[in-house]
Amino acid sequence: MKTTFFDIENWKEIGATLARNKTRTFLTAFGIFWGTAMLAMMLGGAKGMENMLRRNFEGFATNTAIIFPNRTTMSHQGFNKGTSWELTVTDQRNIRAGIPEIEVMTGMSSIQSTIGKGTLSTSATVTGIDSEYSKIFEPIVLEGRFINESDDLLNKKICVIGKNIAGSLFPHSSPIGEYIEVNSVYFKIVGVAYQTSEISINSKIDDSVVAPIGVFRKAFNSGENLGGIMFTAKKGISPTELKPRIMRILTSNHKMLHPDDDNAMFFMDVSEAFQMIDNLFMGISLLALFVGAGTLIAGIIGVGNIMWVIVKERTQEIGIRRAIGAKPSDIITQVLSEGMALTAVAGIAGITFATVVLNLVEVITTDEKGTPEFMLSFDGAVEIVVVFMILGVAAGFIPAIKAMKIKPIEAMNSK
Amino acid sequence: MSQNAIITLTDVNKTYPGIVPLHVLKGINLEISRGELVSIMGASGSGKSTLLNILGILDNYDSGDYVLNGTLIKNLSENRAAELRNRLIGFVFQSFNLISYKNAIENVALPLFYQGVSRKKRNMLAMEQLDRMGLADRAHHLPGELSGGQKQRVAIARSLITKPSIILADEPTGALDSQTSKEVMQVFRDLNSDAGMTIIIVTHDPGVGAKTNRIIRISDGLILPDENV
Repeated sequence: MKTTFFDIENWKEIGATLARNKTRTFLTAFGIFWGTAMLAMMLGGAKGMENMLRRNFEGFATNTAIIFPNRTTMSHQGFNKGTSWELTVTDQRNIRAGIPEIEVMTGMSSIQSTIGKGTLSTSATVTGIDSEYSKIFEPIVLEGRFINESDDLLNKKICVIGKNIAGSLFPHSSPIGEYIEVNSVYFKIVGVAYQTSEISINSKIDDSVVAPIGVFRKAFNSGENLGGIMFTAKKGISPTELKPRIMRILTSNHKMLHPDDDNAMFFMDVSEAFQMIDNLFMGISLLALFVGAGTLIAGIIGVGNIMWVIVKERTQEIGIRRAIGAKPSDIITQVLSEGMALTAVAGIAGITFATVVLNLVEVITTDEKGTPEFMLSFDGAVEIVVVFMILGVAAGFIPAIKAMKIKPIEAMNSK
Repeated sequence: MSQNAIITLTDVNKTYPGIVPLHVLKGINLEISRGELVSIMGASGSGKSTLLNILGILDNYDSGDYVLNGTLIKNLSENRAAELRNRLIGFVFQSFNLISYKNAIENVALPLFYQGVSRKKRNMLAMEQLDRMGLADRAHHLPGELSGGQKQRVAIARSLITKPSIILADEPTGALDSQTSKEVMQVFRDLNSDAGMTIIIVTHDPGVGAKTNRIIRISDGLILPDENV
């Protein structure tokens, strides 16, 4: 069957009918335009906001837990409640050996100290860590290197300094290979690092001096003790699941710990916080979709409405066409193409407008941490276009059926 | 049925259903030959319009047979009816029924658009028909820019473009002044005499009827005996 759809006459007619009532066409098109723009802006905005928030956690493994000792809250084996205890290197070794579900693990200790280099000095958090720390909270190395596995074994007094420390102590030269003094102990600087995320444990790496924990314990006389332990669970396991087993291992090594004394150990499962953020953004995305889709549907109903009016106004004309040989399918094609043309033009304008707005927001929110990517993906934009084209055709369908039912006799009757 | 008949109606009945069913056509028997110029005349309510609608394949009838150019027109689908209207019948209406936002040549070409004829070819054919009507210089004018007589000649050009078997004109001079009416009737007469076109004009104007070669009178749903002019 020959179709009139691709004939230029068809499209000229569409232009002509839509142009006959410019105000009404404009208002309807605006409904579609606004609907698609809203949908695109809300989806893009939700994604951008999520990206903006997520970059605060960049480099931080999401299934991490942190353990610190607290004072006991139950008496046990002759120890009064309120007894303090310390995590030790032995605890770290036992937990690692006893729980294969742990992926990576680091001990942590830190002190606040004044750091000196010649006549310059600054205060900093000095932290001892294992090299696996970098797999939990990946620092960005500006210069040199970070603490690596060989540093865990060798007792070399080396350190990595934060970029702010480097800025105050080495304002004009590279700090790599230089020595700094921390509490009368000299450390050789092997790297400069910083972080983009907002997460900090004790302090941001930018303001820290980081040394291998073995060296740290010797240099600052903390013996076997650790300030805390940080670990990540293997994929599919939440750190909280491992908590009872960790507690059991700790009670076997520390007599003052009652097996049921949950409060004697500060246990923070970061994955739970991340889960909450995930849920929050899922909610925001759903809301964006809901509101955007609602606006779009309102616009589509507007298209259906205008098509209905156009069909009613053109009863005689459609009658003439039928009398001179237009088939019902020709009439349907014409009405549907009109709805489609209207939604296509207005919808693409809406997407374009949303892209400009999102691009503007993106430019405004871009800072040294990077670009939060508010923009819709090309696929996303195409999806929206396809969805509203389908809806646009659907909106024209009822008016088209009505148009099809117009008898050619109407042309004779309406004199 | 004569060999030369282009329209043959045999005992055609039409009743409009309703609380009081209206029996409008009460057994119409009619034969129109190829190349005739006839008028159908009747008072309002005589069944004249209904007969026109049936002849134009715009309406169905209940019983009897209608054969147009050898094709039995009965129980047709919408698509088939549209196709036959497009190919066999050229319509001319009282109110011209041109599409107001299309210029003369586009209006004339419209029936070919529905046949799927290419734009170039149908515009060429439309131009030929306009030229035939003496309107070549008005081809790109909108209907609103044309006089009543010019509009009706554009409509006649449109009715001719598909080379139909019959021209069916419904009160073609009803909206025209007497001078223009004469001109339009002359167009029909010329088409009939020069091109041998079969033309059926439905009218209540005796002056128009007088210009045709045969008057078919319809009264109360029945055809009255012929009178030749």
